Amino acid sequence: MSAAWLIARHDLRRMAVSVWPWALAAATLALLAYYFLLSLDGFLQLAPKLAGHADAPGVTDLVAVPVLRTLANLFLLLIPLLGMRAIAGERRAHSLVLLLGAGIGDAPIVLGKWLALWLYALALIALALAMPLSLAAGTTLDVGKLAAAGLGLALQAGALAALAVYASSLSDQPAFAAAIAVALNLLLTVIDAGARLQGVGNGLINYLALPTHLEPFFRGIVASVDALYFALLALLALGLATRRLGALRSLG
Amino acid sequence: MPAADRPVKAASTGDLAPRRARGNNRGPVTEPAAAPPLLQLHAVSRSLAGRAVLCELALELRRGEVLGLLGVNGAGKSTTLRVIAGVLAPDSGSVRLDGTDLYDAPERARRGIGYLPERAPLHAELSVSEYLGFCARLRGLDRAAARTAVAREIARCDLGEVQRRLVGQLSKGFQQRVGLAQALLHAPALVVLDEPASGLDPVQAVRMRELVRGLREQQGVILSTHQLAEAQAACDRVAILHGGRLCHIGAPDADLEARFLRIAAGAAEAA
Repeated sequence: MSAAWLIARHDLRRMAVSVWPWALAAATLALLAYYFLLSLDGFLQLAPKLAGHADAPGVTDLVAVPVLRTLANLFLLLIPLLGMRAIAGERRAHSLVLLLGAGIGDAPIVLGKWLALWLYALALIALALAMPLSLAAGTTLDVGKLAAAGLGLALQAGALAALAVYASSLSDQPAFAAAIAVALNLLLTVIDAGARLQGVGNGLINYLALPTHLEPFFRGIVASVDALYFALLALLALGLATRRLGALRSLG
Repeated sequence: MPAADRPVKAASTGDLAPRRARGNNRGPVTEPAAAPPLLQLHAVSRSLAGRAVLCELALELRRGEVLGLLGVNGAGKSTTLRVIAGVLAPDSGSVRLDGTDLYDAPERARRGIGYLPERAPLHAELSVSEYLGFCARLRGLDRAAARTAVAREIARCDLGEVQRRLVGQLSKGFQQRVGLAQALLHAPALVVLDEPASGLDPVQAVRMRELVRGLREQQGVILSTHQLAEAQAACDRVAILHGGRLCHIGAPDADLEARFLRIAAGAAEAA
């Protein structure tokens, strides 16, 4: 078993016996369930009026995608809160030395921490997807669009998890690490807001923004350029976190 | 400061020669004269926050030997051990384990080291056996070997009665023993212990000393301590550090306390 997978499994086990990840998951799912029921109620009231239109949006557009979009927004806060302890928490508890002294290199440590965080987020995505999928018993869902939205969410979660691990490597104070990660996430979310107000929608600044690449997935469009953006963002953050871990070894 | 207590550049080979049966069968295990030292520090220097913490430190340790690092607070004991354990890179100089430079082949070399830092690196939310199982797998043992190693160290460190309890709920003494067990799981050639008896009651401290003595049957041990009595009881040789420099190295003889106090007083005067 690779060291990264070993660390990921170990971190998932530690999450499973801790209150914090369960509390965050419970709060997130409760919020999503409430939003799901509100959206469903709204759709049921609107359905008779939509019935006469040929290209009217369906239950996937009006119930499923908004729920998943809400989860994407929650991830901006949730993943930093969960990932803040990845490295900062180990440093604070003086247990990072266990990993640094184990003879496994810095990259597997970072990869393991990231993988655990990402798998946790994937579990949440699966549970969030189960809500709209439960409607399949009584209506027809656009499964392709749902799959695209799920893929977009998974890619976004991977990139945010990598940013959270990097932020966690910058401090030995988990709260400070979470604040850095939230700030980075918000920056990436609104970085092109000014340009959009000016009517610029196709510049470099737009390319850097998270929503530019997430929204197509919610419309059912899977483009390699969008997937590549999330992959590059994750790779960059993981590379920086690995360098930072090496620097911690040098700086003391 | 008497000449004998001035900083020494390197441990003399006379000090390093295997000594046999100094009483109570405490002499280091004899090994062939041609064998390289298990651990060799050559001119290791390290600064932290702009302050020189280690200055051209040179030390050697042979297999089957227990070397104690003595010194007042800030002498550089913990930094020396962190450098040896591979968790803090030196600014200059080299650390060799069994002839291999620790920082040239860090991952392989670290597998040969078991390290217990001043604060044991524990995961409080897991049970003792779960935590030790993870540590064993992390050091490259397969599932079956890890199970065997965990059982062995639980027995050796007297952790049987608490193996199912959460690490965070244990007393300081038990936590220290769990920390020692994690350092021994992979049967490392070199065991590095930073203040292993810190926070232990007298009975636990004696038990820890016995454990350390038992390790030298197969391993080399380097430990730091504030306590002269502990150094005299557990170590074959003692190195006294002050200001990051090696001031004395030799057997823990009856003159050790006077020498230690002289070095500390001399350094205080110089400061």
